[in-house]
Amino acid sequence: MKHVFRIALLFCALPLLLAASGDNARYQTVGGKIMCMCSCDQMLLKCNHVGCPYSARMISQLKENLNKSSNDADVLNFFRREWGVTSVVEPSRHGFELLAWVLPFAGLGTGMVLVILVARKWKTQPAAGAKTEARLDPKLEELRQRARRETEL
Amino acid sequence: MPLLGSFCLLFALALAGYSFIAGIFGVARKDSAGFRLAETARRAGIVTFIAVTGAALALVWAALNNDFSLAYILEHTNRALPTPYKLAALWSGQEGSLLFWSWLLAGYGLVLRLRHKIDPRLFATTSTVLAGIQVFFLVLVTFVANPFGIMGSLPPDGNGLNPLLQYPEMVIHPPMLYLGYVGFSLPFSFALAALIMRYPGEKWIHITRRWTMVTWLFLTCGIALGAHWAYSVLGWGGYWGWDPVENASLLPWLSGTAFLHSVMMQEKRGMMKVWNVWLVFITFMLTILGTMLTRGGAVQSVHAFAQSAIGTWFYWFLGIIFVVCLTAYIKNRDHLKSENKLESLVSRESSFLFNNLVLLAACFAVLCGTLFPILSEAVRGYRITVGAPFFNKVMVPIGLFLIFLTGIGPLLAWRNTSLGSIKRNFMVPAALAFGLGVLLIFVGLKPWTDLPYFYAWLGFLLSGLVVTTIASEFIRGGLVLKTKLNTNLAAAMVHLTRRNMRRYGGYIVHVGVVLVIIGLCGAAFNQEKEQEMALGDKLQIGHYTLVGQEYTQDDNANYSSEAAILDVYKDGKPLVRLTPEKREFKASNQGTTMVANHSTLAEDLYVIYEGKNPDTGHPIIKAFVNPLVIWIWIGVLVVAFGTGIALVPNAAAVKAPVASAIAVVAMDNAMQPAGAGK
Repeated sequence: MKHVFRIALLFCALPLLLAASGDNARYQTVGGKIMCMCSCDQMLLKCNHVGCPYSARMISQLKENLNKSSNDADVLNFFRREWGVTSVVEPSRHGFELLAWVLPFAGLGTGMVLVILVARKWKTQPAAGAKTEARLDPKLEELRQRARRETEL
Repeated sequence: MPLLGSFCLLFALALAGYSFIAGIFGVARKDSAGFRLAETARRAGIVTFIAVTGAALALVWAALNNDFSLAYILEHTNRALPTPYKLAALWSGQEGSLLFWSWLLAGYGLVLRLRHKIDPRLFATTSTVLAGIQVFFLVLVTFVANPFGIMGSLPPDGNGLNPLLQYPEMVIHPPMLYLGYVGFSLPFSFALAALIMRYPGEKWIHITRRWTMVTWLFLTCGIALGAHWAYSVLGWGGYWGWDPVENASLLPWLSGTAFLHSVMMQEKRGMMKVWNVWLVFITFMLTILGTMLTRGGAVQSVHAFAQSAIGTWFYWFLGIIFVVCLTAYIKNRDHLKSENKLESLVSRESSFLFNNLVLLAACFAVLCGTLFPILSEAVRGYRITVGAPFFNKVMVPIGLFLIFLTGIGPLLAWRNTSLGSIKRNFMVPAALAFGLGVLLIFVGLKPWTDLPYFYAWLGFLLSGLVVTTIASEFIRGGLVLKTKLNTNLAAAMVHLTRRNMRRYGGYIVHVGVVLVIIGLCGAAFNQEKEQEMALGDKLQIGHYTLVGQEYTQDDNANYSSEAAILDVYKDGKPLVRLTPEKREFKASNQGTTMVANHSTLAEDLYVIYEGKNPDTGHPIIKAFVNPLVIWIWIGVLVVAFGTGIALVPNAAAVKAPVASAIAVVAMDNAMQPAGAGK
């Protein structure tokens, strides 16, 4: 069981390791987080407007900043400063915006814990319907269960 | 005609109001006078449908006859607009779409009221709740967003329909989506009615489940058609951009999916009654929230209607619904006590519970991302953008976990599953899935090189697990029936499905979902290339070579267009001729792309004509190779097929040639995962 747990843990950690090592597609990854400001509502690298007054300039700034800094967050912060916070379509990982990242997983985690706690409580306490079931004829109950099983109702 | 339309709306509002108020009094009084009053309310509800239909027809008539004296027709049509798109004008703008919403609601109400004999009291209460919702939408359409507003002068031509909407799928996609959205009013009305009247038993759940499945199917098809439209028209090479309006449609879909699963717990074990009632409430509230977000201008989206005062009405409506639901729940919560409790964390029940949890977590994550810009503006004073990269990072792990649960769920027995039985049932599917993972690495997929590759690899692996599990369920049941009925395996599996349409229909739906996942995983391997192409120039992408053969122009009353005629070669052999196009619509002065797509089971060659470089005069072509996309559309068809199967009532129970108690028991055991109840 311990081995299974360790393997599962390694499996879960793999995305994090990969996220840190995926440098070869850095241009695509960082460019995919920046919005073209020509009001086309498309990502910078997906803007398909011929003669777009912004995309060429923004792409050259992107390339320049990627060469200048090895930190993606710095590149994105440059765009936030230069083009406004709406130009980056991913919340940052600090301050108030960190909340956007934390909330979904905190929700899932809290839900998991609650479900496990409730299930444990249910297991240790007799069911409310147990009294009712006790009054029933065991044969009838068996038939009822079987009917339910067979009809899936 | 505009006058007739306005009159019909007012008449409909009066009728719906009567249906609501008379319904309340009729249901509250338990004598024969109350019954008669409820009957008049039901009939008023039926006539409401006729009146709203009159209003909708008046608007369509005005669109077909270019009646630009109506501001709505002026804004959304023009003379040169083809007839099908004139019909689509009904749902192209704020006012028309609200009228369409009212009409669909009245249509659902009609079906409900005509089927009242199933359970007159429950249907009367449900009809009253529905009439309340109808009143809200009719008030909106009559007083706040009236589509029959008259222009001061009569312009010679209209402004035309948004070019992005001038695509065949847009004639089907919005009605499908609206059918889904509006349809959730019915499960909501049933749930609220059953709670208010403390309806005994689980009959209302059976009725609600069918309505929810139909509605869910419409919403699924609507979302898929929207994705296909985006893929074919928006020209950015993708099908899902996590736009707020897309998210708004996904929210009720996720909670509705959770309900369709958890409702089984109530039917089989009398559990999760509170959870189910609130899931239905939440699903309906999410449809209203989504509508409010996009129509009130709270979020920015390519789909969103202009900012208007209508959002305030939705805030109030949502608030009232919440208060009504909460009050009904608090007053009647003792009626929702579970008959049974969870006996083990390793059981089918707990798998449903976790499945619900993950679906709701997904729903919560989408809601967080969609609302976060508003929250940021409220707290920090500025609005940030939350787009696809955020949603992909958050939703992909959640989605993969959900697929994992889909894979193991059928392996678990009701009540309790022993560790031994898990090992027994899990071993073969897990080994096959693992084998698939290894095979994928051998054929060149390197999951360790990049995160999207890892996710895609894991997605394929888990898809393999789900398919193997489902196949083993069919085969195991089929083998038992094969022996019992003395027939072949295929016939036995068909018999098995007919014996429990819902269960096996559900499995088919899961197969469809797996196909969609496989299609989504393909996105990790997308390639794209953009190039200026003079005549005879070549563009190389993947195995394909595109050669510019001709560039043409065309002009008609509605739009002018430029197109590229490209010959495509695959590995040097001629394959197909593609004609990507760019259109410029005259009435609206807006352009749109018409993508040329060569789709195969392995990949799509997706080509866009972007226009001409103003400096060189040469056309610019952008090409994408998008692997496995077609499996998304096939998967949706399978989902629709599976849902259809699940909606069909079961065939009569199998009559064994030799009925023996031992055989029946053996069959029962075989139908359940081994180790059930141990």
